[in-house]
Amino acid sequence: MQVDIGPITRIEGHLNVKTTVENGVVTDARCEGEMFRGFEIFLRGRDPLDSQQITQRICGVCPYAHAIASSTAQENAYRLQVPPNGRILHNLIQGANHLYDYLLHFYQLCALDYVDITAVLEYTGKDRELSKVRDWVKAEIDSGKRYPAAPFLPRLSGKYLDNRDANLGAIKNYLEAMKMEQKANQAAAIFGGKFPHATAIFPGGCTQEARVDLIVPYQSLIREVRDFIHHKYIPDVLAVAGAFPEYWDIGRSQGGFLSYGHLPLGPEPDSRRLLAPGVMFDGQVEAVDFNQIRQDVGNAKYSSPSNLRVRDAAITPQPNKRDAYSWIMAPRYAGQVVEVGPAARVMVDYAQGHNPEIKKLVDRFAGQAGIQPTQLNSVLGRHLSRAILAAVLADFLLAESQRLQPGQPTMASIDPPASAEGFGATEASRGALLHYIRIENYKIAKYECVVPTTWNASPRDDQGQPGAMESALIGTRVNNPEEQIESKRIVRSFDPCLACAVH
Amino acid sequence: MFDRRKFLKLAAALAAAFGTKGLSQPARAALNDIDPRTVPKLLYLQGLSCTGCSISLLQADSPSPLSMITDYSQLVFHTDLSATSGAQAMELINSFIDGQAGDYVLAIEGAIPAGMPEACIIDHKPFADYLERAARTMSGAVAIGSCACDGGIPAAEGNPTGAVGLAEFYRNRNINQPVINIRGCPVHPDWVWHTITHLVLVGNPNLVNGSPRVFFERRLHELCPRYYDFQEEIFAEKLGDRGCLFRLGCLGPITFADCPTRWWNGGRTWCVDTNAPCIGCASPKFARQKDLPFYRLSEGKGRNS
Ligand code: SF4
Ligand code: SF4
Repeated sequence: MQVDIGPITRIEGHLNVKTTVENGVVTDARCEGEMFRGFEIFLRGRDPLDSQQITQRICGVCPYAHAIASSTAQENAYRLQVPPNGRILHNLIQGANHLYDYLLHFYQLCALDYVDITAVLEYTGKDRELSKVRDWVKAEIDSGKRYPAAPFLPRLSGKYLDNRDANLGAIKNYLEAMKMEQKANQAAAIFGGKFPHATAIFPGGCTQEARVDLIVPYQSLIREVRDFIHHKYIPDVLAVAGAFPEYWDIGRSQGGFLSYGHLPLGPEPDSRRLLAPGVMFDGQVEAVDFNQIRQDVGNAKYSSPSNLRVRDAAITPQPNKRDAYSWIMAPRYAGQVVEVGPAARVMVDYAQGHNPEIKKLVDRFAGQAGIQPTQLNSVLGRHLSRAILAAVLADFLLAESQRLQPGQPTMASIDPPASAEGFGATEASRGALLHYIRIENYKIAKYECVVPTTWNASPRDDQGQPGAMESALIGTRVNNPEEQIESKRIVRSFDPCLACAVH
Repeated sequence: MFDRRKFLKLAAALAAAFGTKGLSQPARAALNDIDPRTVPKLLYLQGLSCTGCSISLLQADSPSPLSMITDYSQLVFHTDLSATSGAQAMELINSFIDGQAGDYVLAIEGAIPAGMPEACIIDHKPFADYLERAARTMSGAVAIGSCACDGGIPAAEGNPTGAVGLAEFYRNRNINQPVINIRGCPVHPDWVWHTITHLVLVGNPNLVNGSPRVFFERRLHELCPRYYDFQEEIFAEKLGDRGCLFRLGCLGPITFADCPTRWWNGGRTWCVDTNAPCIGCASPKFARQKDLPFYRLSEGKGRNS
């Protein structure tokens, strides 16, 4: 039987997944990206410096990653020397934003698939917030409304956490996480200007100064978030893992892993990174070569040629193209499917023995859960990878903020040439993000973004290979084929961002 | 426009969605007069959006997210927060839009691809269809953010989708429905929130360009702490300098918004305070023209000719 499980909520943007279910198993899945805006088209002819502002509007959840990717592409094109403070500020802004994004993803976007909100009805303790939630849920359910306690209810049928204390703790942390997300964003905005959509990030650095009266509040906000990560977030992820251990084996994508590496440790474009870049097939990691990336549109709604390299990209929408089922293109690395995102970042780094903290945490948690590191390729693996990255990142940001040199410049002087081209690669919290810019006669001649969810939620390529998320869904056993909470847990573990994927 | 009764309902719905902590005492009292069971619900749908406005609303510090969820929470559907999905979600959305689930206010984030309906689909139907159907049943509509108000970035010059804002979409289809425009890319959470206070206290708010005058009536430039620098001709010469940012392209002089007095992200920061020129994100013409770049660099060669 064919079942559409969209619209999938608690993700960013418009996504449907068309599934075929036979004997309780998903035998086919097609990810349909259902929105298109045309950024690469309307960027043409604009001033290149507009691009880090415009591309941030690709996504209001991770705008800073786009600002950094665009700035890096321009730095590459303009051959800019970024002062050390400028690079550090980029890291502080983007890193803080990642912390927020990991928390948002786990608590607001995923927790309601695992946590039993109705557990709060039996709460008898003295916590003010939980009592408030209890009274509210009770009143809502008693009200006779058609949809009481929205947006928490109604919900899909399925197995939820059955440990009362774990549920109550998670509900409390759902609420507290929102405050922590605000703090992480406030930290980012101290240097970024505002969130969402930073105005202070530029190629060459950041317009905000490196002042002590800004560094201190930044650090204190990050410290609070760091405490939450260690004392709430990681234990909650482990509690879900303990209650749903089968999800170490559910949602495995078929293919390789790609990470551009994250957070340069020095101002030079080729500086070592906190997390190492690489592309991994069968456990073997190679250096990333942008020329190996090509985008297919055989099943995507474009009439432009297929299998183009990033710098040759073309985009002509054809909304009614026959048999095309998504606005998302299908990027492939050397013709192969790859998954990007937190699990890819962790596995690519771990396989190279690069960051000792990553190695320590992966070994510890894999040992505790009794899994192999390769099982990070799973629903729980993606959640655990985010938590590991959050812990490593929070420590790094505190150390990095100490390296700022107050009073020293934070911006290079920009003088865009008449013609140039550049690549900028970074990691959005959802995965590998690449921007390409070509400038002719002082204007943008071509702009191309290859975005995390474009990889993960891609449709079949021209060879018929399913994308990473499609492959992770195929073979999944589902209890209720109409609702498929299992499939939705898989989809959400990727943290798909449809506005990003189809920009 | 709305009559006072509708305004109260709208206010209450927004209060329900985003909490009541930040409200003044008289405003809270007015809201308390409303029976929560009769408060219209808020149906929050997204079109061509980046979700930035929803994310910005979650940055509101007063009210807190806790009060948003527990005090009333009549946010019957929101794509980023709702537990439900799939057919169950569609049943919920459709039951409101078809008028079977009681009064509701439509909140829209994102533009409408008027020239390419397939560019925004919900459950196999164009987003525009939902807006047309909702016009017959809703109590009113709030356009949240520059995309929903005027098309925003998706409507930038050269855009392939024919993106427009909600008011224009309704106008073009001869649908007579009031829309309150709350501009900004993203919207400032206070602008949404305090609109409620204003509605409740004063009733029919004074609108300018369809937006509450109280936030959008004055040029940013006049409110800017660097206005003195402007008058004294103390200008930033390159990015990262202090001083008035006019020569670098600051759009404060043509943008109507109160960022300089309100600040962002818990009052910690705003664009010009980080030496970053205002790019006019709250302006109806935000990002519209290719030949009006956000920045002018004094060293620029042919770029600003
Ligand atoms: S910085 Fe911008 S808004 Fe402020 S005074 Fe100068 S031109 Fe006006
Ligand atoms: S200062 Fe300008 S760019 Fe910044 S938020 Fe306000 S209107 Fe938008």
